[in-house]
Amino acid sequence: MQDIANEFKPLIEQISKDLKGKEEIIKKTVATFFAGGHLLLEDIPGVGKTTLAKSFASSLGLEFSRVQFTADMLPSDIIGVNYFDVNEAKFIFKKGPIFTQFLLADEINRSMPKTQSALLEAMEEGKVTIDGISYPLPKPFFVMATQNPYEEKGTFALPHSQLDRFLCSFSIGYPNRESEREILKGLIEEKENKKVVMSLEQIEDIMQSVKEVKLSDSMLDILQEVISFTRESGIFRYGLSTRGALALAAMTRSWARLHGRDYAIADDMLSILADVCYHRLSFLEGETTPKRIYDEITSHISLQI
Amino acid sequence: MKKFFKHWLFTDKKLSPQQLLDIGYLVVSLPLIAVIKLPMIIYLLFFFILIFRDKKLSNIALVGVALFGLFMIILSLFGELNLAGLSRLKIFVEAILYLLILAVTLQRLTKNINFYQIISPILILAISLFFFDSIAMLLYVVFEIFILLWLILAFTMGAGFKESLNMAIRMYLLSLPWVIVLFIFFPRISFEHASYGFRGDGIFRAGHDGTMFTDDRAMRVLSKRVVMEVSFKDKQIPPSNRLYFRGSVLYQKRGNRWLPLPVYLKRAFSPSQIAPKDSYDYAKDKIEYNVVLYPTYKRWIYMLDLPIKAPIGGYIDADFSVTYKGGVRDKLSYNATSALNYRYGKVIRRVILGEALKANKNLAPKTYQKAKEIKKKFKNPKDRLKAIIEFFKSQKLVYSTSPKGLDKKRVTDSFLFKSKQGYCVHFADAFTLMSRFVGIPARIVTGYRGFSQNSIKNYLLIREMDAHAWVEVYIDKSWLRIDPSLLASSSIQDSSVQIVNNKKEPLIQTQNTNRATLYYLYIKYTIESWILNYSHYRQMTLLNRFKSDTKFALIFVLSLIGIVVLIILLYIYFTKTPCKDIGVCEISPLLKKLAKRGFVKGEQESISALLKRYASSLDDDSIIRQIDELYIRCRYDDDIKACKQLREKIKEIK
Repeated sequence: MQDIANEFKPLIEQISKDLKGKEEIIKKTVATFFAGGHLLLEDIPGVGKTTLAKSFASSLGLEFSRVQFTADMLPSDIIGVNYFDVNEAKFIFKKGPIFTQFLLADEINRSMPKTQSALLEAMEEGKVTIDGISYPLPKPFFVMATQNPYEEKGTFALPHSQLDRFLCSFSIGYPNRESEREILKGLIEEKENKKVVMSLEQIEDIMQSVKEVKLSDSMLDILQEVISFTRESGIFRYGLSTRGALALAAMTRSWARLHGRDYAIADDMLSILADVCYHRLSFLEGETTPKRIYDEITSHISLQI
Repeated sequence: MKKFFKHWLFTDKKLSPQQLLDIGYLVVSLPLIAVIKLPMIIYLLFFFILIFRDKKLSNIALVGVALFGLFMIILSLFGELNLAGLSRLKIFVEAILYLLILAVTLQRLTKNINFYQIISPILILAISLFFFDSIAMLLYVVFEIFILLWLILAFTMGAGFKESLNMAIRMYLLSLPWVIVLFIFFPRISFEHASYGFRGDGIFRAGHDGTMFTDDRAMRVLSKRVVMEVSFKDKQIPPSNRLYFRGSVLYQKRGNRWLPLPVYLKRAFSPSQIAPKDSYDYAKDKIEYNVVLYPTYKRWIYMLDLPIKAPIGGYIDADFSVTYKGGVRDKLSYNATSALNYRYGKVIRRVILGEALKANKNLAPKTYQKAKEIKKKFKNPKDRLKAIIEFFKSQKLVYSTSPKGLDKKRVTDSFLFKSKQGYCVHFADAFTLMSRFVGIPARIVTGYRGFSQNSIKNYLLIREMDAHAWVEVYIDKSWLRIDPSLLASSSIQDSSVQIVNNKKEPLIQTQNTNRATLYYLYIKYTIESWILNYSHYRQMTLLNRFKSDTKFALIFVLSLIGIVVLIILLYIYFTKTPCKDIGVCEISPLLKKLAKRGFVKGEQESISALLKRYASSLDDDSIIRQIDELYIRCRYDDDIKACKQLREKIKEIK
């Protein structure tokens, strides 16, 4: 906590009160948000995804909406629909739940690919287009999507190209023993009306400053080494795309900013490496786990970090 | 500036094939600028103007340039451009060089690279070897070969400037041990002077060539070219007044020319390798020495007075003049023995004595008059000789290598009585004639005079400018050496006005080489004789010494090993990856220290993480934490100050 920049401390402290013992996860969520990306949580239900989302949104004073994805959901259920108003005798656009600042897209892999791609396109473009008219999404716009592990029945796995649109992906995992004990004691009560710790202007300023974090030649060398390793080593099915590379750089910058630096270091990248790469890479042989990805890549760049 | 420096440091510029070729051409043609004649230089300037204008030339313009170039070539070789001229090697090579330059420049103007253009730098390099054979050129050739190697590597590797340079240095270093070993041990062929069917460049003029002119044709060879390298066995060089290297002995004056005895008279002698015992009264203070004689294309070889034992193939005749069978056509090294203290001439043939007295009074009437006076005045030959010496001294003759006012028809008279300027030739000529006029048999000896100033340790250098002529007179049944040049009252060095007045020191035409110059000459000479002129003979000398001298062999082998080890070290130095990342380079000494303490960087661990891990194991971790911060700022914030501080902080850690 000491190495966090002061402006982030209240935010992280406040969320930590709701989600006990998950400081690292909260930091990564904050970093993803300020990097301007979207987050994919891969978890079994009931480990605090919603808690994290709600706490995060209310602490920043963001407009929050939640969509529970189901198999029969249509794109219009998310982005909205044009309906004919008989009184006014014209089509009127009824905004869907996506028109919000913080969208919790629950169990995204339960819906049909058509619906999934509607959401992901909106995430990418920052706007929704219906019948030739574009409706911009509010700013900031942050999607926290969750998905069940693939093995579960009745799910539609997100294709690789769609996964690429999420900046980061990780799982919250079970709470540790102490935290769980506190939860079991019932000591934790969710306050609905939380103190807003950051204004919209502050948020935008920080987002801008993240973009300005310097990547030195040394750092760029390391980044490029990682990227070319994923592409050329032959152990991955496919390497990082340029968007993936940009994601790695953006998250590295954001992590550096979170720690109060205006330049990024190798440790910044190492901290978020697995989260950025996990949903983008898969090994040709054997199981793909965040740890294995981290180990393989760091072993390769060991001399440079 | 800082940015530029950083740019240069971190980027590796790649040169285009055309740029690489241009560098190659510039490097190989640089020495040739001193050789090519003015019209060709003008042509080259014209070519450079065309290149810098950087416009593609039409075919007609190219033909124009070609015609201009041809015209300039003809102009350069004007007067020599005939069959006779081309049969001279140097002119022929020069013509080839000009044609090559023309072809290369025309190719360059078309901006197309072809095989012909790629091979030409090597041809130019080879041609430049025809013009230069100095140690400086040797070093330059080494440099040229290195540059060409680098260019070829840069081209084939397609790599940048620094990377290919590094590779070139490494490959070059790898080749060096082989070069050295092959240089020393590869069998040399001792071949006769190879002329490849070309005529030599005019007549070779040495300081001594067996005859002697007293007019314009007289030798005034002031070249510093080394004629002989003499090393004395007992490490002691005899004093300057004993360093007379005997060449030919001259008896007959024909016009302005002194000649040796005709062959039919010479045939009467029976020359032998060792001077017969009865040919001298006594010969003491025998001295052994080795001479390396450079090709003179003459039959004489030079030995100190008095030659006692000639080398194999050499013959001492009755005049103690030593000749070599077949002449000195290749560099010759020989061991010889001479006696410094001697008396000879007891047995002498009447015909020789007669020749030593022949003098035509019409050649020098005034001198004859003077001699007659002396002859009248003194009866004893010794007194007559003294009188001649006194007369020479009284004439206040000036030793000058470029005498003025000599009358070509009566050189002797005009030298003694009018201009009073001359050099060894005139002194010897006048003294001999005068001696003969007064009835003392006399002859001229030509050869070289050594000067102990031109020596280091037991080495003595004899150069063209040390050529000398002196006189031997027959008195008391023995030949006595007199050097009339020493009778000069002063000397003028060259044609400069400066008059040197030093009567005690021998008046010499050699300039008193100062020690620094001499050392330079000695070192240069040593290098040249062991590297440039490393021949069959040198190789055999080395190998023989190798066999006989265990200490030398040991030192030799050890130094060879030393050189090889040094080269390997250099190779390793250049092989190690160059520092691409300042931060990593600065921190690496600390990492080595930490590794010794058991803190090795894990594969998944960053340097910064390692430092933190180490810091947490310490009680006082402030320095390590500072280092961590400096390292991070140096490496990732491009903070040069932090890098410097980092280096200093790391030094503090023991």
